[in-house]
Amino acid sequence: MFHWKKAVVILTAAALALTGCTAAGSADSADSSGGTLTLGLITPVSSFSAQGANWANQSPYMQAVYDSLLKADADGTIEPNLATEWSYNDDNTVLTLTLRDDVKFTDGTPFNADAAAQNLIRFRDGTSPNASFLVNLADAKAIDDTHVELTLSAPDPAMLTYLTQNAGLQESPAAFSSADVETVPVGSGPYTLNVGETVAGNSYVFDKNPDYWNPDDQHYDKVVMNYYADSTSLLNAIQGGQVNASTTIDNTTLDQISAAGYTLSPIENNWWGLIIGDRDGTLSPPIADPKVRQALNYAFDRNAMLQAFADGNGTVTEQIFPTTSPSYDESLNETYDYDPAKAKELLAEAGYPDGFDLTMPSSAGFGASNFALIQQQLADVGIRVTFEDLQVNDYITALVSGKYPVALMALQLDPTDWQLAQFSIDKSATFNGFHTDDPTVQGYITQLQTGTQEEAETAGKELNKYIVEQGWFAPWFRPELNFVSDANTDLTVQVGNSYPYLWNITPKG
Amino acid sequence: MLRFTVRRLVSGVILLFVISSVAFLLLNLGAGDVGRRILGPAATADTVALKNEQLGVSEPVIGRYFDWLGHALTGDFGTSWFTSQSVEQAIFSRLAVTLSIVIGATVVSGVIATVLGVWAARRRGWADKLVQVIAVLGFAIPGFLIAIFLVNVFALNLHWFKPTGYVQMSASFTGWLSSVTLPIAALSIGAIAAIVQQVRGSVIDAQRQDWVRTLRSRGLSENRIVYKHVLRNAGGPALAVLAVQFIGLVGGAVIVEQIFAIPGLGQISVSATAQGDVPLVMGLVVVVGALVVIVNLLIDLIQGFLNPKVRVS
Amino acid sequence: MTESITNVMPDTATEERAARSHLARRLLRNGAALFAFIVLGLIVLAAILAPLLTPQDPNFANIQSLLSAPSAEHPLGTDGAGRDVLARLLYGTRYSLAAALLGTAIAAILGVVGGLIAGYYGRWFASVSSWVISLIMALPGIVVLLAARAVLGPSLWMAMAVFGVLLAPAFFRLVYTAVVNVRGELFVDAARVSGVGDFSIIGRHILSVVRAPIIIQFAFVMGIAIAIQAGLDFLGLGDTSVPTWGNMLNDAFARMYKNPVLLVWPSVAIALTSVALALFANALRDELERSGRVRVRRRRVRGTAPAPAVVLPADVVVHPETTADSREKLLVVDSLVVGYDQPDGSLKQVVNGVSLTVRQGEVHGLIGESGSGKTQTAWSILRLLPEGGRIVGGSVVFGGTDLASLSDTEMRKVRGRRISYIPQEPMSNLDPSFTIGSQLVEPMRIALGISSADAKKRALELLARVGIPNPERTYAAYPHEVSGGMAQRVLIAGAVSCEPDLVIADEPTTALDVTVQAEILDLLRGLQKELGVSILIVTHNFGVVADLCDRVSVMRDGLIVETGPVRAIFADPQHPYTKSLFDAILEDGAARGHLEHAADRHAPAGGAAS
Repeated sequence: MFHWKKAVVILTAAALALTGCTAAGSADSADSSGGTLTLGLITPVSSFSAQGANWANQSPYMQAVYDSLLKADADGTIEPNLATEWSYNDDNTVLTLTLRDDVKFTDGTPFNADAAAQNLIRFRDGTSPNASFLVNLADAKAIDDTHVELTLSAPDPAMLTYLTQNAGLQESPAAFSSADVETVPVGSGPYTLNVGETVAGNSYVFDKNPDYWNPDDQHYDKVVMNYYADSTSLLNAIQGGQVNASTTIDNTTLDQISAAGYTLSPIENNWWGLIIGDRDGTLSPPIADPKVRQALNYAFDRNAMLQAFADGNGTVTEQIFPTTSPSYDESLNETYDYDPAKAKELLAEAGYPDGFDLTMPSSAGFGASNFALIQQQLADVGIRVTFEDLQVNDYITALVSGKYPVALMALQLDPTDWQLAQFSIDKSATFNGFHTDDPTVQGYITQLQTGTQEEAETAGKELNKYIVEQGWFAPWFRPELNFVSDANTDLTVQVGNSYPYLWNITPKG
Repeated sequence: MLRFTVRRLVSGVILLFVISSVAFLLLNLGAGDVGRRILGPAATADTVALKNEQLGVSEPVIGRYFDWLGHALTGDFGTSWFTSQSVEQAIFSRLAVTLSIVIGATVVSGVIATVLGVWAARRRGWADKLVQVIAVLGFAIPGFLIAIFLVNVFALNLHWFKPTGYVQMSASFTGWLSSVTLPIAALSIGAIAAIVQQVRGSVIDAQRQDWVRTLRSRGLSENRIVYKHVLRNAGGPALAVLAVQFIGLVGGAVIVEQIFAIPGLGQISVSATAQGDVPLVMGLVVVVGALVVIVNLLIDLIQGFLNPKVRVS
Repeated sequence: MTESITNVMPDTATEERAARSHLARRLLRNGAALFAFIVLGLIVLAAILAPLLTPQDPNFANIQSLLSAPSAEHPLGTDGAGRDVLARLLYGTRYSLAAALLGTAIAAILGVVGGLIAGYYGRWFASVSSWVISLIMALPGIVVLLAARAVLGPSLWMAMAVFGVLLAPAFFRLVYTAVVNVRGELFVDAARVSGVGDFSIIGRHILSVVRAPIIIQFAFVMGIAIAIQAGLDFLGLGDTSVPTWGNMLNDAFARMYKNPVLLVWPSVAIALTSVALALFANALRDELERSGRVRVRRRRVRGTAPAPAVVLPADVVVHPETTADSREKLLVVDSLVVGYDQPDGSLKQVVNGVSLTVRQGEVHGLIGESGSGKTQTAWSILRLLPEGGRIVGGSVVFGGTDLASLSDTEMRKVRGRRISYIPQEPMSNLDPSFTIGSQLVEPMRIALGISSADAKKRALELLARVGIPNPERTYAAYPHEVSGGMAQRVLIAGAVSCEPDLVIADEPTTALDVTVQAEILDLLRGLQKELGVSILIVTHNFGVVADLCDRVSVMRDGLIVETGPVRAIFADPQHPYTKSLFDAILEDGAARGHLEHAADRHAPAGGAAS
């Protein structure tokens, strides 16, 4: 009965993604043995193999058993982890990492530069959703036991960040060819999977790794990660005090959760709105005109949309860059104040005084009634929308393959401008489904990639302004994602990741 | 008896074969872009293509079906596309959980429905009316509402039971009992509604039989007549309903397992079907199909035992 | 309170016909059914009149007034997209009902046609369709629906059509079973032999039998279809472009904790419709069940004065005893009145004041036409009247105790060990699910308190005594494995197994072949002599009376009209009714088997028929 919610979960979980960073571990918490931590999660493990590792909502599973080469702290600053030092060559195409020499995988295999090189290549060639993180990695090879050299085919400003996430996870090379590599992880992480007590797809149990090299990051003897498929059961588990900390699915239940004694830690890490993808007018000629795209932006009452979609929990926005980005420009949020009359005017100027017909995809995964609101507001400015209903699974495929000129979507707010551009703006970006190739845009992106930090920041700002004015998207709001914790648990949310990093969840006091 | 059983089993195997073929075809009709579904929005087209290639989904359906069939015949149902678990392991670790709940609910609803049905049939009058009302309400109230209600009252307010989760019977029997009580109750209410009507009707019918008068004339007590003779004769039709209910309960478990976060077959069937996890759904189709075949066969055998006239020689 | 008293024979056949013809009217009088009709009527009206009942467009979304409280403009408020809830509810009724109707109709058409063909013609079609049905039932519906949706698109109608196919087994099984049962009936054979075409046989004879069950099933399945339709929308597998209850439920569920009241409207609509459909089906089934039997309504009777017994005056012709009978009076029935409570609270009297006496060791015949009340008299002595029947007046004094006033427990001790019973139809009077042996042993163990080994030994002796050639085999056999004559011997063995003082035999030979009849009568006579037991034998056959009885009472319309020693009555029947019975025997002599022989021996006047 609850598929649709599950579908939302899958979609949102997938949509929110990425990035990470390091925290040096809450060193002040001397109490590194706090009994059992029970977490609530909304996705099961897709694969325990490092080469197929997911991130975002699956990051706690991975962080329990694996170490990453680098670490990101709660605001995204890169910190050492298995790699203690890192340095680029002059043109940012060779990255050299210095590795720890005191780490062993739980099967006894020592961690060394060769293992790191193998893991990196394997991830690049594997089928993790984020395999493309390492698309610029031409080669990785061990210089000696503690030094690994990464050769890049092109500079990648986000490379260090990637190495703090699933791309940097280190699995024992001895386990690569094991038959149960997908279900039994062999890493060097703070915990090991207790296969006997784990019920895959429901409850994952992790025991403290007694030989862990960094006991400061081990706050519990045992960590239980429970997967809740449905918002009702998740709410029941929270209300029944069955989890110490959990992510949430549904902002309408926050009152109940607070009443049960949980602390809410909100984070905004995605934006909702329209991807106005057909900027060349391939499927819908009117969309080629920037005035029409601007009209689409004027047509929506963003505050009301935030209320309707997210129960008012979140912030309205007109740009797709996150507030943490240097390119973020508060003044851009005054570009398209709700103004249906202005929208009609623009449409008339563009040659569509009577509006036009538009086919959009819909999916129950986004909340069926939300589409009625989109339809109505566009109708108010003369754009007649017909919906084609898709299974939530086919929705993304349709979007990334440019099947619909305009579509509702929720997209992640990447921590770096480069990543964000690679994800949804660049001509080859996944969510540039029509592969719009605008020389101005591409120019800015090149600056992001190869320019100095200053050049990159200027280019980012310009890029943001340009796509807002060109109406590449019609962003509405950034909804809050609430992470909740009980009276015995402290946590710090992670910028750009839907789940706090595991070592940032600690016993209180 | 043996020949009958063998014949039924053979026909069951053929049935399973046809069902699996039809299901495989249907699943692939609605498959769409599997790689994209598995990897989500973040993956690039290249990674998706690589995934699809690994899964072999670009090959013709027929070839893949026979490939699946060949492996399935040796007991290898492959691994889930979405959780990387081996299908046999995923199903069998969960089958016991679902069966313990479904069998529990079948027993509970069978016993309660029998007692209520017999009571209604014997008392008639207001007792009958009451039972009818229960049956109609149980029929009309959706199972998930009952489940949510039970959780809120007995778990969240009274704290008698845990709101979610499942304890293995081998780990702790009382723990198990307390973890399945609410799910079984939620499942049973609808089933009781369905079975009680049948029991009532069968008992009323059986009570009108001539031999009941003769048994009474022999000095047998009313309880003995009802519980030994009438129930035995009413058992056939009631059992058929119970069998249908059992199969229905396997379906009902889907909802209950979702709400109580119980790691049973229902939970994975929802996600597997919604995601289009072909290997896992195929495994489920075969296992549930086999369950249906076996239950139906068992029911026929028990029917034969209950009713000597249809006893197969 | 005045209660009408009717004096009607319990003729089940006419009653049944009357019952059926008035089914519709009776349904309207049934409270639950009436409620169901009204609710369904209102729901259908709401669907039809939706545009008149609300000016709002059910699909008009207003982002400025999300989840607004009830107001003049929106009597039930607005939903999460600012749509009018009342309008969605009313228009939703149209789509939900139509969709459920479509699904149910498809299921019914496929199931009924398939069931009729498979049931009537049988053969390969039956095997194939049964197999297809198992296939449909074992195929996971959700997989089929998802595939159908992927191929055919998200259409409410298409989804329900697919579901109709999936639900067809519900009708198929019902119709198939019913048709197979009816097909073997004599009237169908007769129709076939007399050249009536298959189509008219199906139409006239078979369809009429399964019609009512189909209607009941239709109501139940439609209730299920409504729930399923809602479930499909709820799962997001429906068609979000039309307002349906399921779509409303889906929308409301997402806001369950903010605006729980939104959940109420579609839930109530779904529940009310399902309840109404279920109630209708239940009421219809109850009314059908009720036809052909007299129904008690205790509630009506309770709290009011019990219906007074009316003892009708009768001119009883009492023949004097030829010789003084010094045997003790074992059973004295005095002014016995038996009646059945009627649904309207009245009492239908079937025995109107019967008095008769059975002495120790006497064989007393109770003779009369069917419907004269003789079987009712016999049953009321054992207090084994069918449901609704009771002793309204008079006394049944047996061995000095009035059985009419005993508690149920005390009465149970009388049955079997003091008074036992031999039924009319042997085959239907043995529990088909237990072996003959166990049915003999069980009462002996209870009544005589003997061990099972002793009881078995005794049962085998009894079986041998009643003339069963291979007692061991019969002991282990199930009732359907023995002939009618054998079964009657078994029942006689059972009747005498606990050494009763009185055996009530209700037409013990009527259902048997003529040759077997004589053997059974011989057996009864032999046993009576051997055990010295008294027998009250109910019969319509003077031959039986002549063969067996010492004394006879003639019954008519619930009253004894003539009683006395067999010889005296045969010699000089006084009452016109008795005379007419004798006349009937003479006219119809050949058919009555024993009569010639009996009349030859006993009939004094007019000589024997040739």
